[in-house]
Amino acid sequence: MSNIDRRTLVKGSLAAMMAGAAVSRGAFADTSEPILLGVSGPLTGPNAQYGTQWKQGFDLALDEIMAAGGINGRKLAYQFEDSQSDPRQSVAIAQKFVSNPAIVLELGDFSSPASMAASPIYQRGGLVQFGFTNSHPDFTKGGDFMWSTSVSQADEQPLLAAYAVKRLGLKKLAVLHLNTDWGRTSRDYFVKAAKEYGAEIAVTEGYIAEERDFRSTLVRVRDANPDGLILISYYSDGALIARQARQVGLKQVMCAASSVYSPKFIELGGEAVEDVHVGTRYFPEDTRPEVQKFIAGFKKKYNGQEPDAFNAYAYDAMNMAAAVVKIGGTDRKAIRDAFTKVKDVPSVIFGTATFDIATRRVKGAMNAELVVRKGQFALWDGKPT
Amino acid sequence: MSSWLDYTINGLIVGNVYALVAVGLALIFGVSRLINFAQGSIYLVGAYIGWVAVVQLHTPLPLTIIVVAAAAAIVGLIIERFGLRPLQNSVRIAPLLATIGISFVLDQLVMLTFSPNPRALPSQLPDVRFQVGGGTIGPLDLLIAGVGLTSALLLFVFLRYSKLGWAVRAASQDRDAAMQMGVDVNRVNQAVFGIAAALGGVSGMLVGMYYNQIDTAMSLQATLKGVVAEVVGGAGNVPGAVIGSLLLGLVESYGVAVFGTSYRNLFAFLLLVVVLVLRPNGLFASARQAPPEPLTGTFIAPSRPVRIPWWALAVAAAGFAVLPLFPVSFYVLQTLINAWLLGMLALSLTLVAGTMGQVSLGHAALLAIGAYTSALLSLTLNVPVGLAVIGGGLMSAALGTLLISPSFRLRGHYVSIATLAIGEIVSLVILNWESVTRGPIGISGIPPLSVFGYDLISPTSIYWFSFAVMVVLALLQGRLLTSHLGRSFRAIRDDDIAARAYGLSLNRYKSLAFIFGGFAAGISGGIAAHLYSYINHETFNTQQSILALTVVILGGLGNVVGAMLGAVALVGLPEVFRIAAEYRILIYGIVLLLLVRFRPQGLLGTM
Repeated sequence: MSNIDRRTLVKGSLAAMMAGAAVSRGAFADTSEPILLGVSGPLTGPNAQYGTQWKQGFDLALDEIMAAGGINGRKLAYQFEDSQSDPRQSVAIAQKFVSNPAIVLELGDFSSPASMAASPIYQRGGLVQFGFTNSHPDFTKGGDFMWSTSVSQADEQPLLAAYAVKRLGLKKLAVLHLNTDWGRTSRDYFVKAAKEYGAEIAVTEGYIAEERDFRSTLVRVRDANPDGLILISYYSDGALIARQARQVGLKQVMCAASSVYSPKFIELGGEAVEDVHVGTRYFPEDTRPEVQKFIAGFKKKYNGQEPDAFNAYAYDAMNMAAAVVKIGGTDRKAIRDAFTKVKDVPSVIFGTATFDIATRRVKGAMNAELVVRKGQFALWDGKPT
Repeated sequence: MSSWLDYTINGLIVGNVYALVAVGLALIFGVSRLINFAQGSIYLVGAYIGWVAVVQLHTPLPLTIIVVAAAAAIVGLIIERFGLRPLQNSVRIAPLLATIGISFVLDQLVMLTFSPNPRALPSQLPDVRFQVGGGTIGPLDLLIAGVGLTSALLLFVFLRYSKLGWAVRAASQDRDAAMQMGVDVNRVNQAVFGIAAALGGVSGMLVGMYYNQIDTAMSLQATLKGVVAEVVGGAGNVPGAVIGSLLLGLVESYGVAVFGTSYRNLFAFLLLVVVLVLRPNGLFASARQAPPEPLTGTFIAPSRPVRIPWWALAVAAAGFAVLPLFPVSFYVLQTLINAWLLGMLALSLTLVAGTMGQVSLGHAALLAIGAYTSALLSLTLNVPVGLAVIGGGLMSAALGTLLISPSFRLRGHYVSIATLAIGEIVSLVILNWESVTRGPIGISGIPPLSVFGYDLISPTSIYWFSFAVMVVLALLQGRLLTSHLGRSFRAIRDDDIAARAYGLSLNRYKSLAFIFGGFAAGISGGIAAHLYSYINHETFNTQQSILALTVVILGGLGNVVGAMLGAVALVGLPEVFRIAAEYRILIYGIVLLLLVRFRPQGLLGTM
């Protein structure tokens, strides 16, 4: 029971005590035990930052779920096991969760090697592996217990390409991408869509996640003479590229994938990320009620901190898990079947999320075209930069 | 043509950054013949102290530098006093493991204190840019170059002309003789660690400012690049480290220019291997310089191994064999499966590192070769899984030995560094050779294990299978060690000149050891591939190589039973510490340090 959030536990037991005073003893025994979800993700090691962001998103969603009465009166909690995004540890965690009957559903892992190595164990053990950041096209092909709300890159990249080519009018693009399964898949979808919209791809450059120096890469980019730079990056490397691009004197328009959408991108990039265009799934002034609730709740819970994309994925995932458990109860197979029944769950990323039963993914991510103005993400007003 | 000027300038700029780490590493290596794996962690600590000073205390730059240097120096002194000095009379490999443990502990402490989220570390210098070629450079570039060059120069003068500097050089050439001449060797070590740590801390801070970004993952990368640069320049040679760093930066930059960004590190590590093979003492070693390792003996000191009676081993093996018949959870079995797979890797490494004296830091590459071979054989050629795994073992034996053979003429630490580089090269080739390995997308849908047509799917059957394979490999290796081959291996480890005088061909025996070891590691990788069903270039990474070496040193170098015991311990401990949540890797690091402190020859002793 290592990682159940202590505060939630205390709050939950208080609630349970009050409930216990009101109802009979038998019912008390039933409702005092929280419904437990397993989370396998990185809390230490090179990807630890994403695990901590997950936790923030989960905890906010759980607070709201509890405030709304929990799962038919029962508490929802999660047990977070640190995998360091290492397949050796994620498979052990998978067996741990599968053999613990209290776990009704699993969330994670973060990286593809760690997640997909664990998939056979979840599939054979009959426990749903709900990978909400797993965009690898083969993730849900692991079996009918693999479900994902990760935005499919086949969905996202054409939106980014439309922003860059149709709306910003860029005709000759340089694509810089993380050379991981995610970055590579994204690049391929982006290039395909951008070409369809009539743009030319001048150069594509893949870099490894640990890379910090991009100056030589940017000279290559400069020599290809593009009129726009596309960043398929996370926020830390995206900020590094933007800074160094300005330092080596590149003045082209930059357009980045939604994964840079984080206050950290602006903090780390400083003035260099000014006027960078970002295709995202939501934006702070979005009038959609689920977005407003998420942003207001997040800022209130975390001392005014702005949420980022990974916070939003985790928040949505926990809400989806709650919706599924509400339908499926605590039986693992029934929960798997509930994924096919759950409909129109309010979602920051999708507006409302419903699974496509054939692919076990959600289609139709929302689209917002933002630009960094005066150190803030703002809705793009259509003016050229 | 102007682009080439830009590539050159960019190469020098990044080389500048590497130099800061490399100089500190060179200084420590020069005196204590130790690759300090904790140098990257001190760099990390320096960056975060700098963040506290700049963002929280708003110190001006000169004061920030002094604060960071002083704080990092204190960390360095603590490491020297409590981490390394107690080990100075023990096996020479123990301090290496200690620095790995220390780096775990420091990285985790920083992560727990500051959270793993990256932070901005604003530069305190005015934001003016000078146009050079097609790009610009800023004052921070000049400051970094200034700090790198001045510190190298100051160290050079210090080592050559000051009394303490003479003592440092005397201690580095012959510690015992220096002590006899009245040199206080401990004070020398203290001075060196303090200076190197101060330099490391300041460099972390400057690099953090340079990129306006610090995060807890920066330490391993800094160590890797620093080691490469240092060795290229000649290990222990301070001015050489600066030139080696600049050269590394240039080679990377030109590599990007010609082949593209994803080949960048490939060139860095190829440079290292080429330099090591052609000039094992580095580019700038003088002919008169004493060889970096003693001519006789190795840094693997013999110790009295713990004798375990055969019946006790048989009982233990039988106990593990019948374990699944008892009501143990699949989680325990899965953890032990991981231990058996790591055990096979450790058997392989304990043979080449312990028995043969070739301490490899790139052993994960053998796993990767075995895993990819087995996965591709079964997926694309429909070879039955059992045969594919054996194919993986054979490929790993053949390719691994071939790749490692250029480094057969190297000794001691240089073997470790060469194998580290070869490991990185294999991983980068897997990433870039898309037509065969499918590049970053990786290989998915690898069929599950099966033997003679029976699928091994339940944890119990996988447990028995992997345990049986490990025991067979261990028995074979035990037999090997008692044969004349084993005696020859040990003879070469203990004194290669004497062994050669007796007519033993070093290359042939080293090849034999790597063939056997490569096979065991390849089998382990092959089984893992079918167990995971998905692998990519990150599945078998540098951390796995370091883990394997830790297992082997912990169990006792060359010790077959020790390798398996170490594997169970190092897979089991992090699982046991799960109750400690975020603190578990910290506790793991501390336990590791304590083990090294009190059993430097390993749990079961060197064989």
